[in-house]
Amino acid sequence: MLSLKKLSIFFVFIGCLSAQSIFNAYGLGLSKSIHHTSSAGVGSIGLVPTFQPGVSFDNPATWPGLNFAYVSGSYANRQIEIGDNGHTNYGNGFEKIQFVVPIKNRFAIGFSLKPVNDHNAYFKTDSTQIDFQGKALTFNKEFRSGGGIMAGSFGLALPMNNRMGIGLSFDKLFGSSQDEQSLILNSIYYRLFNIKTYSGSVFNINVAGKFYEGHTVMITGYARVSMTGNPVSSTQYQFDLFEDRNNNYSFDSDDYPENVDVDTINVSNIYAPSSFSFGLNATLNNDINIFGEFQLWNDQAINDNFSSIYTDQIGSKNHIGGGVVRFGKMGARSWQDKITMRFGIFKESYTLKNSGRKINENGISVGIGFKFAATGNQLDVAYRTGARSITNDYKETIQEFTIGLSLGDVWFLRRRTKQ
Amino acid sequence: MCLIGMIFLSACEEAAIPVSGNDTPIKLDTISFPVVNAIAYQSPPEMGKTSYLYFGKEDGYVFHYSLLQFDSISVTANTPFSSFNDSLIIVDSLSLSLRFDNDSIANDERFILRYFPDGGDSVFNELESNYLNFDRSIASEVISTGRMVVDSVDTNKTEVNLRFLMDPEIINAFMDTSVLAYNRSFLVELEDESSESFYFHSIELIEGTRPELTVFYRQFASDTVVLDTSSRNYQAVADLSMITSKPITHEDSTTLSVSIAKGLKSIVYVDMDGWELPPKAIVSSAEILFNRVEADTIETYKVISHPIISEGEYGQFSTFTNDPYDEDLNYFTTTEIIDNVITINHRQAATDIGHKNYTNFGFKLQSSFNNDPFQTVRFFGLNNSDYIPFMRVIYVIP
Repeated sequence: MLSLKKLSIFFVFIGCLSAQSIFNAYGLGLSKSIHHTSSAGVGSIGLVPTFQPGVSFDNPATWPGLNFAYVSGSYANRQIEIGDNGHTNYGNGFEKIQFVVPIKNRFAIGFSLKPVNDHNAYFKTDSTQIDFQGKALTFNKEFRSGGGIMAGSFGLALPMNNRMGIGLSFDKLFGSSQDEQSLILNSIYYRLFNIKTYSGSVFNINVAGKFYEGHTVMITGYARVSMTGNPVSSTQYQFDLFEDRNNNYSFDSDDYPENVDVDTINVSNIYAPSSFSFGLNATLNNDINIFGEFQLWNDQAINDNFSSIYTDQIGSKNHIGGGVVRFGKMGARSWQDKITMRFGIFKESYTLKNSGRKINENGISVGIGFKFAATGNQLDVAYRTGARSITNDYKETIQEFTIGLSLGDVWFLRRRTKQ
Repeated sequence: MCLIGMIFLSACEEAAIPVSGNDTPIKLDTISFPVVNAIAYQSPPEMGKTSYLYFGKEDGYVFHYSLLQFDSISVTANTPFSSFNDSLIIVDSLSLSLRFDNDSIANDERFILRYFPDGGDSVFNELESNYLNFDRSIASEVISTGRMVVDSVDTNKTEVNLRFLMDPEIINAFMDTSVLAYNRSFLVELEDESSESFYFHSIELIEGTRPELTVFYRQFASDTVVLDTSSRNYQAVADLSMITSKPITHEDSTTLSVSIAKGLKSIVYVDMDGWELPPKAIVSSAEILFNRVEADTIETYKVISHPIISEGEYGQFSTFTNDPYDEDLNYFTTTEIIDNVITINHRQAATDIGHKNYTNFGFKLQSSFNNDPFQTVRFFGLNNSDYIPFMRVIYVIP
């Protein structure tokens, strides 16, 4: 039984982390902005509170506001429809697994594991037919890529004063990806493979503060600065092109040529993300929260020519979004009052480094959360839909359903003194 | 578990997204090269790999004699000839048989047999010996005369074998341990000239019967008590017919002709100078195209081609006593004529030439040994502007 459980977990982890997109073939693919289900419900980059009043799982500075220690996981199922040609792809995978422990309502520590980018792509070109010196040639190309960078993160929350808190986190970036490039000539595949491993790190400084507190409204502000610790370096195992005569995807004795070499290439500084994010949240006295967020993200990597299917890569990104959250109350009598309701809209714009082309994404999100049990367990679901397009070219329609479960428990919390 | 199962089953339904090929890696490229020099030439016929041993005359060809070499180990007992060096073994006789290609005898000719007691360890080479370089004077006097006999295989089937019986003394040369590896060779020829031709199975004939040498002997338990009367068979491991070809025609010399029995081969030079194949590129095909001169339908006919390893002489048709163009056996190709066109794919050679790892001296064309050795096939060379051969190269660049 134990082995069956392990096997299930293994399969989930090796499953597709995302539905494929042609945009994921640019460099390391699109960087992920949204991780936790509560953030997904409003299309938030995770700065402002979306889990419970004053708390965002994606912002360590807010973690002391948690009443319980939490183990939390978010899982997304995504559908991407490409253009008007009816091609639809599905994918799914964990968005985040997290463990957060608040300590005496002033401190907190947390660990998480989350995907950093999205590298899943599978596309092909139209067939071309030519006559070369009396020989008919029909050919097209196919490309696949998958895997990507994960972040194993450790976060720490500390109080600055009675109005502000700071959260520090360190993201260890690691992972591997693979891509396959094929040209199919008269039904014969010519393939090459690249396998890459990654290693790097990022530091994040998060700040949360109370700006204004009146009778009818309280305004809080949030900011994050992310800096590259060690730029991501990669080891690339590049298999020579070969003729896959038996079309079994791997090189063997039936293929041509008789031998293929594997070049091992170490490339440093291929991915160096840094960002500045800022958000404001207004809490109204009717439990309604209105927020706005803004992010500037930049990849400062030096090695622009790291191989990817497309010779271009994402250079920068900005995000702007806003929304409304009505938090449910844990101790409410009616079940309706226990429900957290979320709504948000956002716009993201990526810029490609070499060509300067832009990938624009617009989205709208809704979500709900439901508290249950005495330790603040919460079930969150979110639905996000939007469109993504590149300048004068492809357009994708995205639908994403995310489910998250956060289980609370009492760890390191201040307990009532026994009488 | 149910949740995991449900989610997993719904996962990863993927179809390739159609995109334009702009900015994508891997590309197909093509280039064609002209054949700028081409010539046929003649060298002595190489009959060592033909399916039959030939005797007599046919269509202008003269079949002088055939040479046979037998294995040193018997197929029946896996024993060498030296095993007869035993005082308790007495060899009674030897028999050599060749399987006739027909199952009846039309002309009952007499054949004679010689061997090479002074030939040392080697008498002939299947691939190199020919009527010009083989010295038949080293053969012995006639040691046996044979005729073809009809043997009944079963009630409905007969086979014809040419059989020679030899005196037991012949075995002494085979058993002689003073020669490290005795040549174990024989020469078979017609006793009298014949205008007819006779075909016997050679060792190359698929599903044929190999020439066989049988040693009949008695084994004694003591000086007087015979323990066993038995025989051991030794099969031929090399054989070769010595022929002289009929005169070549004007067409043979002015086209790119190939023929085994005429000793016709051709060489061509493809001008690939200056071409450089990009690193890591794969040549999908590098085909040299030749059009056959004759327009009639041809039975399965294959042409062997290799790169040559020295400069070719393309001035005029020449006859050589030895083939001057050694080929690089690492680049062997064999190609069948289809619709009177042959496309010889030399992609490995083109790859190495394109990567500057190999010197292009040109390519040799010759008939496959499985073809009818007496058939001549001709391809257009440079003298017909409509069918000038060329090489077309298709390659994939990562």
